Amino acid sequence: MVKYICKRVLRAFVTLFIIISILFSLLRLMPIEGYFENFDKATEVEVQVKLQTLGLTDPLPKQLTRFFGQLLHGDLGTSNRYRQGVSINTILADKIPVSLRLGLMSFCISLAAGLFLGILMARSTRTRFKIGDKLGTVFIVIVQAVPAAVYHIVLQFAGSQGVINLKWLGVDWSLKLPMLFDASTPLSYVLPVISLSIGSTAYYAMWLRRYMVDEHNKDYVKLARAKGVPGGQISRKHVFRNAMIPLVQYIPGSILSTLMGSLYVESLYSVPGMGGLLVNAIQIKDNTLIQALVVIYAILSIAGLLLGDLLMALVDPRISLTGKEDAR
Amino acid sequence: MTNKETILSFEDLEIQFTLRGQTLKAIRGVSLDVHRGESLAIVGESGSGKSVFTKSCMGLLDANGSITAGHIWYAGHDLAQYKTEKEWLTIRGREIAMVMQDPMTSLNPLKRIGDQITEAVVLHQGLKGVEAKAAAVKALEAVGIDDPERRYRQYPHEFSGGMRQRVVIAIAVACRPKILICDEPTTALDVTIQAQILDLIKRLQKKLELTTIYITHDLGVVANVADRIAVMYAGDIVEVGSCDEVFFDPRHPYTWALLSSLPQLGVKGEELYSIQGTPPNLFHEIKGDAFAFRNPKALNIDFVQRPPFFEVSPTHKARTWLLDPRAPRVEPPEHIRHLREIGGYANG
Repeated sequence: MVKYICKRVLRAFVTLFIIISILFSLLRLMPIEGYFENFDKATEVEVQVKLQTLGLTDPLPKQLTRFFGQLLHGDLGTSNRYRQGVSINTILADKIPVSLRLGLMSFCISLAAGLFLGILMARSTRTRFKIGDKLGTVFIVIVQAVPAAVYHIVLQFAGSQGVINLKWLGVDWSLKLPMLFDASTPLSYVLPVISLSIGSTAYYAMWLRRYMVDEHNKDYVKLARAKGVPGGQISRKHVFRNAMIPLVQYIPGSILSTLMGSLYVESLYSVPGMGGLLVNAIQIKDNTLIQALVVIYAILSIAGLLLGDLLMALVDPRISLTGKEDAR
Repeated sequence: MTNKETILSFEDLEIQFTLRGQTLKAIRGVSLDVHRGESLAIVGESGSGKSVFTKSCMGLLDANGSITAGHIWYAGHDLAQYKTEKEWLTIRGREIAMVMQDPMTSLNPLKRIGDQITEAVVLHQGLKGVEAKAAAVKALEAVGIDDPERRYRQYPHEFSGGMRQRVVIAIAVACRPKILICDEPTTALDVTIQAQILDLIKRLQKKLELTTIYITHDLGVVANVADRIAVMYAGDIVEVGSCDEVFFDPRHPYTWALLSSLPQLGVKGEELYSIQGTPPNLFHEIKGDAFAFRNPKALNIDFVQRPPFFEVSPTHKARTWLLDPRAPRVEPPEHIRHLREIGGYANG
């Protein structure tokens, strides 16, 4: 087990090393104006001095070694244009917690809601009219087919403008949640979190339903029925557990990706999170910030895959960790 | 069989399936008594309804299938009237257990072998914790698995096919059933393992005083294990008799054809015998003898009226007009009359 983990971690580091080297080298092709707050006004001499202090005139291998050295110390460099002279760590420290908080909330909600819906749909496939399954499918198809922008706007409008009300019942109540995000108002979290959750709820529901239906048609379920296990117990202890295995792999990745935020939802609700940062950095050509963000994304993706695989190995006994196990 | 007490009795059983709005009559009025302690084999080709027939007495029919007429009598209850899961749970595993065809897929790949046996033990013997585990280990030992304590903690993928079938059998008998249904228990196994598994079932049958029902199309298995044979064709039993009677004195043309297909009867260099045509489409109403269309020697009446059962001996009956006193004399094919000498039987 330990050997397997070490091997996988080591391999992940090798992959990261290659990815980061390629990224770093490619980013050196960016126009040099991205290192200056005010390139147009800088003189030739000032430009050369700045480039030299940044070490950008050195040969590429030397730059690369230095970059890895900084990276190991947790230093991502300094922003040149986004917030001039501010270390990127400081920028991230402002932004990440916001995205992470919203992201984790929506992760928990969408996992719970998605699994619940998936189980409901799977169970419904064995009833006469399959109503639950049909309604669930309608929801999933809408979420998948309608552009996310549309239902986010509809949700924002419906949730904040009092469209949902009880006036027709004579009660003076209408749903008016804050339309924009404000870290100090808990209620303002509601709409962005729901927006963030909808897509992945549909995703979890769709796959869990599919895997549960698959599992339910397998022979071991027939044997479990034949040995007299009640239906509910079969669903819980056999079908659900086995259907979760393929989904478990993606959970670490989903959690880590909440760090990156969501571009659309965050700009819609004006959340000061990570979502728009990369696009912003590219627009204003802040080379160092772009570089830092791309590297972080690479690390998060690789870590997500690695953790997913390790988690799989933990929960699925068929994945042999030592590679050689007598099968007799 | 001296003891003729009936343990399970099917009476004019009819089972229908609805498929895309069409109705398929899978079982067409079958009556059959199963005697306590015997070993009965139901033989027939694929699609003859033998699996559906036995599944009906455990309430394991697919959702689109249902018993539309007849009775299944067991211990004074009519199982054909059972509707709810709660009713069936008093039967499944506890009274009637099942061993399925493919041991490679019939165990949950993600649960330890021990847990899968314990699950049955807990449900049917009311044991818990350490006691349940002990019972499961004993069950593993009883089906001839070495080192059961270690095996208890392993997963199905750590077992070979034959070993998994032993585990499936252990699960079935751990429930302490009265009747064990073996649905093609050896089809997915290689020949040497087949014999071991059949021996194991026979041994357990004797030890635990089980009644066993085999479903198979392998006549070698039948000859090896069965006291009595029921030949099934197109959702109906066409001939029932003791093993000797069906093998050495078959009366129904379908039984003749089935026995003729035994590869042991083939002559080297000649094509093996095969039954011409295909079984009738069960979506349509079947008139007369279902086998008539594939029987070159069919009588005219075979196409018009369904034959009743004619008794050949108190234990042997067949559903064919050939046994009617007015019928012309039709002899069974030459080669199957010498089955006894060929000896495909007995050492099967």
